[in-house]
Amino acid sequence: MRGSGDITVALTGNPNAGKSSLFNAITGAHQRVGNFPGVTIEKLEGYTDFQGRRITVVDLPGTYSLTPYSPEEIVTRRYIIDEKPDVVVNVVEGANLERNLLLTMQLMEMEVDLLVALNMIDEVEERGISIDVKQLQKLLGSHIVPTSARQKRGIEALLGHILGIADGRIEIDKNKIAFSLEVEQAVEKIAALLSHERELDGKNHRWLAIKLLENDREVYQEVQKYPVWVKVELALQEAITECERMHRTDPEVLITEDRHAFIRGAMQECVVTPHAGKASLTDYIDMVVLNRVLGLPVFFVVVWSIFQMTFTLGAPLTTGLEFLFGLAGKWLTPLLPDPLVRSILVDGVLAGVGGVVVFLPNIVLLFVGLSFLEASGYMARAAFVIDKVMHRFGLHGKSFIPMVTGFGCSIPAIMATRTLKNRADRLATIMAIPFMSCGAKLPLYVLLAGAFFPPATAANVMFGIYLLGICVGLWTAWMLKSTVLKSDSEPFVMELPPYRWPTFASVLFQARMKALMYLKKAGTLILAAVMLIWAASNFPHSREIDARLTREKASIEASPAAPEAKAAKLGEAATRAQADQLEYSIAGRGGKLLEPVIRPLGFDWRIGIALVTGLAAKEVVVSTLGTIFSIGHAGHGAVDLSSILRNDPGFSQATALSLMVFTLLYIPCVASIGVMKKEVGAWKPVLAYTGYVLLVAWVASFLTYRIALLML
Amino acid sequence: MKLSELHVGDRAEVSALGSEPIIRRRLMDLGLIRGTVLKVLRVAPLGDPVEIVYKGLYLTLRKTEAEEIGVNLIESCKASSGRGRRMRAMMRFGRAS
Repeated sequence: MRGSGDITVALTGNPNAGKSSLFNAITGAHQRVGNFPGVTIEKLEGYTDFQGRRITVVDLPGTYSLTPYSPEEIVTRRYIIDEKPDVVVNVVEGANLERNLLLTMQLMEMEVDLLVALNMIDEVEERGISIDVKQLQKLLGSHIVPTSARQKRGIEALLGHILGIADGRIEIDKNKIAFSLEVEQAVEKIAALLSHERELDGKNHRWLAIKLLENDREVYQEVQKYPVWVKVELALQEAITECERMHRTDPEVLITEDRHAFIRGAMQECVVTPHAGKASLTDYIDMVVLNRVLGLPVFFVVVWSIFQMTFTLGAPLTTGLEFLFGLAGKWLTPLLPDPLVRSILVDGVLAGVGGVVVFLPNIVLLFVGLSFLEASGYMARAAFVIDKVMHRFGLHGKSFIPMVTGFGCSIPAIMATRTLKNRADRLATIMAIPFMSCGAKLPLYVLLAGAFFPPATAANVMFGIYLLGICVGLWTAWMLKSTVLKSDSEPFVMELPPYRWPTFASVLFQARMKALMYLKKAGTLILAAVMLIWAASNFPHSREIDARLTREKASIEASPAAPEAKAAKLGEAATRAQADQLEYSIAGRGGKLLEPVIRPLGFDWRIGIALVTGLAAKEVVVSTLGTIFSIGHAGHGAVDLSSILRNDPGFSQATALSLMVFTLLYIPCVASIGVMKKEVGAWKPVLAYTGYVLLVAWVASFLTYRIALLML
Repeated sequence: MKLSELHVGDRAEVSALGSEPIIRRRLMDLGLIRGTVLKVLRVAPLGDPVEIVYKGLYLTLRKTEAEEIGVNLIESCKASSGRGRRMRAMMRFGRAS
């Protein structure tokens, strides 16, 4: 129904045309984020109420064109064709009209109800560019509304036009661009052929014909299904021969050149740009930032600042959150008299929720930093500076920052790979990240290196561990990109956008979106997994051990020893009971079951248990070792874990090295696995990856152990 | 000649876009078509991607992609000998005037 009811609007535009800022300016706080079906491309949806009507706005991904080569472009195209939004708003950057209009032309060819938002009009005025909007409207055949998302200008007018178009009050003159003679003839011929195919009724035949001439594989697949294809193919062949003969090129190039010719004409007619004599601010900044000598130092300072901001600034917040959860546990404990319920709620649920939430400060801080880098324009430059190194390993320059972030925590790092547009690059980067040794693994290195090596060597050992992680990670990426992900390789052709000062609101918006996404999408999965591991380390529960503890307690209480000695003995009994319970549980049995497999690495079943519980979080490896190795030691004066381990017959320097290597390389924590699954979009690759890391960890630890036995 | 053979500061006109369909498509979508006049702005600190500028657009591409682009040299940067030019490119503080 025209004239009433709700309206759906799709926002399209080039990257950096200010599409997201406009989306924010229109929808304000009414936004939600989702994914397009089948791909991990964010779909932002929001709404606004205008003149009593609800206008739903869908922010489509930023694209330069509508080819079927990138997922963003496919998503945009499919959305426009399949969902048929009432109005398609094309956001163009006023100061860079010429290149923005290419997308506009392709939208015109789709014959959608198009409205052009001439965005960043403030910048146009500032630079003294004059645009003859009326004439441009005539040429494009669609209305143009000047807007400035930053200054919130033109938003009302834009909404008014959207209503007008949706209600049919504003006429859109769907101008057809005439191509070169040969192309035009072929387009008409093929369109006529297609119109005879009943299955294609209601489709835009002219558009299909243009796309066929452009060698568009999606449209090819669609049309090939029908009998009319035989004739169409013949016509296509003819057109290719004709274009080759007349223009020494194929129809695809010719069509693009015709679009550009039309745009150039429109530009000459409608736009006057003052002579750009002096270099822009961007030029001056790049002289320093991309300078051959200063480029790398600047880059490393930026990366270092992002890392420091995320983890150093995040550390007190994380500690604070942990403290709050501890407090909540303490407060809850006396309210729950039943020990089983208490254990489930406090140690299971509360700890599980805590395990999800502790990552939030890092995620928010990292994405404040990253969206600042992205929106300011530096991210593309960072990729430019470091690309050569990353390319060696089959990666993209943009892989660098997520990988470095991995040294802090894999979870925000994996989420940060969204900045990579190409799926193959993203997958390879995601799978390299867990090898960048995260902060949670550090306590184990400190413990083992400190316990088994003199201080001078300990630092070298730890450095070696980190280095090993980097090598294995890069090797993994290189291997993936040269085998399974080889075919998907994308050319490195990247625009360096002009520097802009990002708006505060959009930076916060990005961070908030990422935080919500993490909580909603990965949070539940992580919570379930953490609780599962908790259950595995607590069940089945042995009543016998409980009973023994009670008996021991009673006998200690009854003995005539001094209060301090009693307390020590009580503590010892409790620890022993705890360790025995752990041994009795599923996790403990799993550890014992694992023994034959991990024996060659120098691990006994106790280390096996620590590795199993360590799946919940890597810090847990140390605390489990603490519980399980303390048995029988508490009374002998050796109280700290490092000396206990040193004196344990099951532990040697070789075991310590082997365990460090194994912890570095084996399955990442369940939280990372959860986020990884969300970002990859399927379980299969994640499970295959898990198998791969186990294999790598086993082989590397085996070699470490054997070599260490020979040498030490 | 190929785009990859140009030096920092050179101006050239695009004459052909190679045969690799994806690269060709990407370049065309970014407005790099036959007849476009471009200038080589700089090389990344480590020597690979190069940055070119045309029609107000700053584009970076790897040497492997630059090899796909055929160009006609319009104006060479002024240094005469190969070595001097390299030195100038090395020492240049940002873009050529």
